[in-house]
Amino acid sequence: MEKRFLTFLLAGALATVGMQARTVKGTVVDKVNQPVIGASVHVNGTNIGTMTDVDGNFTISNVPDNAVLTLSYVGMVSKTVKAADGQMKIEMADDVQNLEEVVVIGYGAAKAKDLTAPIEVVKGEKLIATPSSSPMTALQGKVAGVNIVNSGTPGDGPTVTIRGLGSFGNTTPLYVVDGMFYDNINFLNNADIQDLTIMKDASAAAIYGVRAANGVVIITTKKGAKNQDAKVSYNGYVGFQKATNVLKMCNSHEYATMLTEADASAYNYMFENSIKNWGGDMGKLTFGADTDWYKELLRNAMITNHSLSVTGGTQKAAYAVGMSYLAQDGVMDVENYYRRLNFRASLDFDATSWLKLGFNGVFSNGDQRLPNNAAWQQAFNAPSIYPVYDNTRDSKVYTGGYASPEQIGVTNNFYNPVATARYYDSKNNTYQVLSNFYAQFQILPDRLNLRTSYAYDYANTKGTSFTPTYCVGAVNQHNDQTSLTKSESTYNKWVWDNVLTYTQAFGQHHINAMAGISMRNERYAYLSATAKNVPEGKDAYKYLSLGSKDGVTVTDDGSRYRGLSYFARLGYNYADRYMLTATFRADGSSKYNEKWGYFPSIGAAWVLSNEEFMADQNAFDYLKLRASWGKLGNDKIAASAGFASTTANRGVFGSNVLDGYTYESNFSWLGWEVVNETNVGLNFATLRNRLTGDIDWYYRKTENAVISPTIPMQNTTIAGNYAVILNTGVDLSLNWADKIGKDFSYNVGFNVGYLHNEVKSLKDGLNIIKGGKTVQKVGEKMNSYYGYKVVGIYQTDAECAADPVAVANKLVPGDFKYEDVNGDGVIDGADKQCLGSYVPDVTYGFNLGFQWKGLDFNISCYGQAGGELWNRKRALRYAASNYNFDQAQYENRWHGAGTSNTDPSAAALFKSWNVSDSNNASYFVESSDYFRIQNITLGYSFRNIKIGNYTLPGIRLSATADRPFTTFKAHSFTPELADAEGWDTQTYPLTATYTFGVQIDF
Amino acid sequence: MKLNKFLAYLIPATVFTLGMASCSDFIDIDPENQQDVEAVDYTKTAQMYEPVVGAYSSVRANAAHWANSLLLFSRDGDMWSGRTDDQGAAAEFGRFYNYNNGFWALNNVWVTFYTIVRNCNATLEALDNYKAHIAAGDNQNAANYSQYCGEARTIRAWAYYQLVNNFGPVVILENNNQTDFTRTKVEGVLNYILSECETAMAEMEGTSKCRPNQMPHKGAVTYYTAAMVAAQTALIQQNWAKAEQYSDAIINSKLFSLYPDFYNLFKIPGKLCDESLFEIQVTDFGNPSGDYVGVDQWFNFAGCSMKNDASGKTFGGWGFMKYEDSFVEWAKNRGETVRFETSFIIPGVPTASGDVCTAAANAGNNYNGKGYLPYDQMTAGTTSWGRNNNVRVLRYAEVLLINAEAKVRNGKSGDAPFKEVRTRAKMAPITGVTVDQILDERRMELCSEWCARYIDLVRTGKAASVLGAKGWTAEKTYWPLPSTQIENIPDLQKDPK
Repeated sequence: MEKRFLTFLLAGALATVGMQARTVKGTVVDKVNQPVIGASVHVNGTNIGTMTDVDGNFTISNVPDNAVLTLSYVGMVSKTVKAADGQMKIEMADDVQNLEEVVVIGYGAAKAKDLTAPIEVVKGEKLIATPSSSPMTALQGKVAGVNIVNSGTPGDGPTVTIRGLGSFGNTTPLYVVDGMFYDNINFLNNADIQDLTIMKDASAAAIYGVRAANGVVIITTKKGAKNQDAKVSYNGYVGFQKATNVLKMCNSHEYATMLTEADASAYNYMFENSIKNWGGDMGKLTFGADTDWYKELLRNAMITNHSLSVTGGTQKAAYAVGMSYLAQDGVMDVENYYRRLNFRASLDFDATSWLKLGFNGVFSNGDQRLPNNAAWQQAFNAPSIYPVYDNTRDSKVYTGGYASPEQIGVTNNFYNPVATARYYDSKNNTYQVLSNFYAQFQILPDRLNLRTSYAYDYANTKGTSFTPTYCVGAVNQHNDQTSLTKSESTYNKWVWDNVLTYTQAFGQHHINAMAGISMRNERYAYLSATAKNVPEGKDAYKYLSLGSKDGVTVTDDGSRYRGLSYFARLGYNYADRYMLTATFRADGSSKYNEKWGYFPSIGAAWVLSNEEFMADQNAFDYLKLRASWGKLGNDKIAASAGFASTTANRGVFGSNVLDGYTYESNFSWLGWEVVNETNVGLNFATLRNRLTGDIDWYYRKTENAVISPTIPMQNTTIAGNYAVILNTGVDLSLNWADKIGKDFSYNVGFNVGYLHNEVKSLKDGLNIIKGGKTVQKVGEKMNSYYGYKVVGIYQTDAECAADPVAVANKLVPGDFKYEDVNGDGVIDGADKQCLGSYVPDVTYGFNLGFQWKGLDFNISCYGQAGGELWNRKRALRYAASNYNFDQAQYENRWHGAGTSNTDPSAAALFKSWNVSDSNNASYFVESSDYFRIQNITLGYSFRNIKIGNYTLPGIRLSATADRPFTTFKAHSFTPELADAEGWDTQTYPLTATYTFGVQIDF
Repeated sequence: MKLNKFLAYLIPATVFTLGMASCSDFIDIDPENQQDVEAVDYTKTAQMYEPVVGAYSSVRANAAHWANSLLLFSRDGDMWSGRTDDQGAAAEFGRFYNYNNGFWALNNVWVTFYTIVRNCNATLEALDNYKAHIAAGDNQNAANYSQYCGEARTIRAWAYYQLVNNFGPVVILENNNQTDFTRTKVEGVLNYILSECETAMAEMEGTSKCRPNQMPHKGAVTYYTAAMVAAQTALIQQNWAKAEQYSDAIINSKLFSLYPDFYNLFKIPGKLCDESLFEIQVTDFGNPSGDYVGVDQWFNFAGCSMKNDASGKTFGGWGFMKYEDSFVEWAKNRGETVRFETSFIIPGVPTASGDVCTAAANAGNNYNGKGYLPYDQMTAGTTSWGRNNNVRVLRYAEVLLINAEAKVRNGKSGDAPFKEVRTRAKMAPITGVTVDQILDERRMELCSEWCARYIDLVRTGKAASVLGAKGWTAEKTYWPLPSTQIENIPDLQKDPK
């Protein structure tokens, strides 16, 4: 090795001595002869290089004789040409299949053509088009097999799952941002991201071992490029959000009609009270008060984002600096918002020929004021027969001037939703710093290097939650005592990676090897305190020390977690035809008794189109077959599960309170969940490289899945590694791109993911395990709703009389007829069945774009099918029959033989047979299928605008309609629910966002 | 240059070595904010009462779950669950004997009482562990051990008493490691309860022949509590001799007496009075909010909207649990005054404490006065119905009525004990009292208390005639097993042994 090194040194010295200086000039164009702007031109074997200008021209001086130039540009196939005299003209071809693209693969990078696993890369610029606070939101519909469910609350990120649900616990993928591990990337701005790599299968993700079971998303923040003049650009948009698909509720007349049909006089007191207070006509059932609660709660809300970035580089250094500001208001008509100010900087520097150093950092400061989402459910339940405000009430008692449901004679379960929204004051301030320092040592130039990097993250969230005193009603909805809760949660995390990389080629054999060690430490601290009777009126009063001191309660919690990992990867490529990748990771974790886990993977690919026997065919321009297998771990299961054995409690004996305990001798020993996944896939390009596609089939099985069955005859559950979950499916994506003439180019893309999710087994001898909202049943989807299936509505008295079930339960026409599964003539617990699950079978995306001269247009759509949601808004009627109804319940109700065989009568909605939370009628299960136009963007770019002596390289103006149209059948605001099990309750409404954007390159 | 090249090797080598050297110790750290789960130190016999406290705590947290009274107290035809719009299945259960084995509250009854059983099993296990460390001659601790075992055993027997009367054949869990969950027939379970009570009495013989309010742990179960559960059980077995024997034992101790003020018996003044044989004790520490060792919604769920006339303050609960009009009518026709006023809250009629129920005055709104705490007895500032009150479980009045019945059944006169109960209620005494008169007296005196009336109807064979019109049949004597339990425990479907 030493000899080899000396040889290299000598060669380098000679080369320097013998260098003959000359200047090379040229123009780089694409296949339709348009200049390629910003392409990198590099003289092989030197540090010399430059970028092409706006006309595609470049000039490099001091070029040695016989020099070879390498040209590269994002989205084009790299090209190597010999330097020539005179004005060179170099044509570069589009890299339709992105084969040359360098893909981040975890502790290293590889060219796309060398991949043996399904890895998808989304470029930062694709994320900018979507006005969203979290970058993952913008990914919806772009990647097959990745399911993204958005949240409407400003500043909250979406729920992301990759290839189904593989755990009864946490199913969030691992996010790796510049080497640091995260559970979400809500703190990043879309414009901070250079690219985002999704490792879908186990062979790709296995390098992240025990954290990778739910898939891995690697995020690289923006970096500069060497040999580039400073590029200053501004990107911003301003727009508004509007609630769409707002659910229509019954108006006062319809509501009163329903109640009267259900019970002729029982609710008259409510109507009479309403009419007495606010007018109306009892005979006609019309009311002076007719409040549309949703209308009262909603507004159009602003959103704006501004980002500024400077990137550039010299021969030895590259830098990128940027800032961005996002401000988003919520559509609930009270103060609720999200503001975020981000700064970032990155520097890469060649200190010596053998040492590269670098740093990058993201500083984020987020400010979230939360809406009270309970108001949405209350708005669903609140009848329209009382108004928002009533200024006739005693303003000394009812200080807010709100009307109360007590005025119509109802107390429990009824609220004034507008007051609920208003008397809520909860804020979170988050400061987060992500930093990464690295040093890379070239031990053998271009062969062997060692990179040591240290990533550090500090995140601090300060929460302040204040409940003022208020009085809307005398019995309900009043608060006599203020309450202030302050909380502080802090994360301190560091990761130290040492990675050794070796590359070597022997003829047609290419080897790429990596070995590394990673150590990480995560600390979390949480402190929260609540005080009562804190003075109100000013923010400056919000201190615990101003409250009543004896009432302060404090919570203090924290955790520490350490990991130590050894990992290695070997990549082999023979003649660009056969590829093999093998990885191995040994993961040590402080969380469990079982400290070490071992996670291997292997992948192979065969590029058929490079074989000689394929040389004569024209059908495929490129064809690659892949197969891979890998094993992953999931340690995102509660560390303490199953370890508690005694429970402290207290007993009262007269005036003494004594400490005591109960204990449970059952406990279990938890190990890691293990995922095994096999993936077989195909990449192809055909029809002169215009149609490209990827198809992948996967079979993903989680073994030792942790689930908590109840201890016999108790409610207490005890966790154990009992269950097996299967996720299997197909991901397909197809893209067509072409140019017509010189100016018009267009692309069409389609992707679809099909998923089959199934609980394969539970604990021995158990067929079903019930949770709070859903059940797990062998042979069914995870998180299934469980109850009676409605097979129709009883239509006539004769029908009821003939049915023993109807007789036994005193059913009348208009009631549900349930399926008697075991046919025993009795409807009981044995007749319950799985009624669907929120996990969709199919998700699909479609996009179409074209460019004509300066004009660009893009439309993308997204949809899903085969999932169900639980309409908890409707189902909650078991708590109070006189809740309001959505208008469809009124319009579709059974009201006489033949009027409906799906919807119950008004009276039926008042009977527990139909609405009890034990029966769980399938009437409340609704399809969560939806189709949406995700984004429409129209842009126009002006290039090379001359302003006096200055040429402005480009301005792009754009108009975007984000999520302008969504269609679905469910009686819901949106089938995208914050609840992972699909309970539609306090859902923040879906919004459409319309923005106008400007992008300026200075 | 040379130095640089040297560094190019040295630094990476150092870095890598450091990384490798970080041995496994790095990940050997203790979890934060958790005390090591060590075995309980059984040598500290001074702490021997702690697992017994756990058993009491378990009764408070489990037996006094609001949904238990929703089903347990509503099956006798006199009281019903009170609402059809919420928890309507409970109304079907209690009013029409239309049982649904999938109803969550049914499972809740099963699970909560078995949790008490399991916790008591663990308590007895823990006590045995302490016993191993009691020095020979340490008579005090030996006596304590015996008393504590008796307490846990009595509580467990009481839990089985609730289970067998409502589910019929149930599983006897001798210990928590038992894997056979085959049920035992009703007679077997009753025998087991009786023998357990007798064992408990023997264990407590030397330590607690006193009232619960005389116990060092005030309100703890005594010898006489075990005797009362034994007497209750004997009554069901129609073992009149034992019923008389055990009720006699309590009466003849001359320790117990009826609390003179029936109205306040169920309120703060009546807490742990001389009539009390067992109460589920709570405390709010005198604060309107914050720390509360209590019974969650037990009282609140059966509360109605009330207004205190003097202060204008309002308070209320969820509006469950109401007496049937027919029962109120029956009580009125009997000429009940004291018990009428205490048991029933009628909308618009002020209580003795000056609170008025503001609920709609339509028929069927007869709320339960035995769970009501007047505004002037509530901890100042609290708005939660009944929050600081104890749940009454076993009281001396029932002992007197058991005694009267047993005596009559044994061919003796039951007039003396019967008279005591009547006198407090300001009802005229009856001479030569009959079993039916005693049963009527029980119906009135014990209404809404732990399904006493339903047990009476079943054990005397009157259920079919009294409840038959509402849909009761002999097959409906006991509730079905909850479907969740059948799914979880296949043994339950085996024939009871």
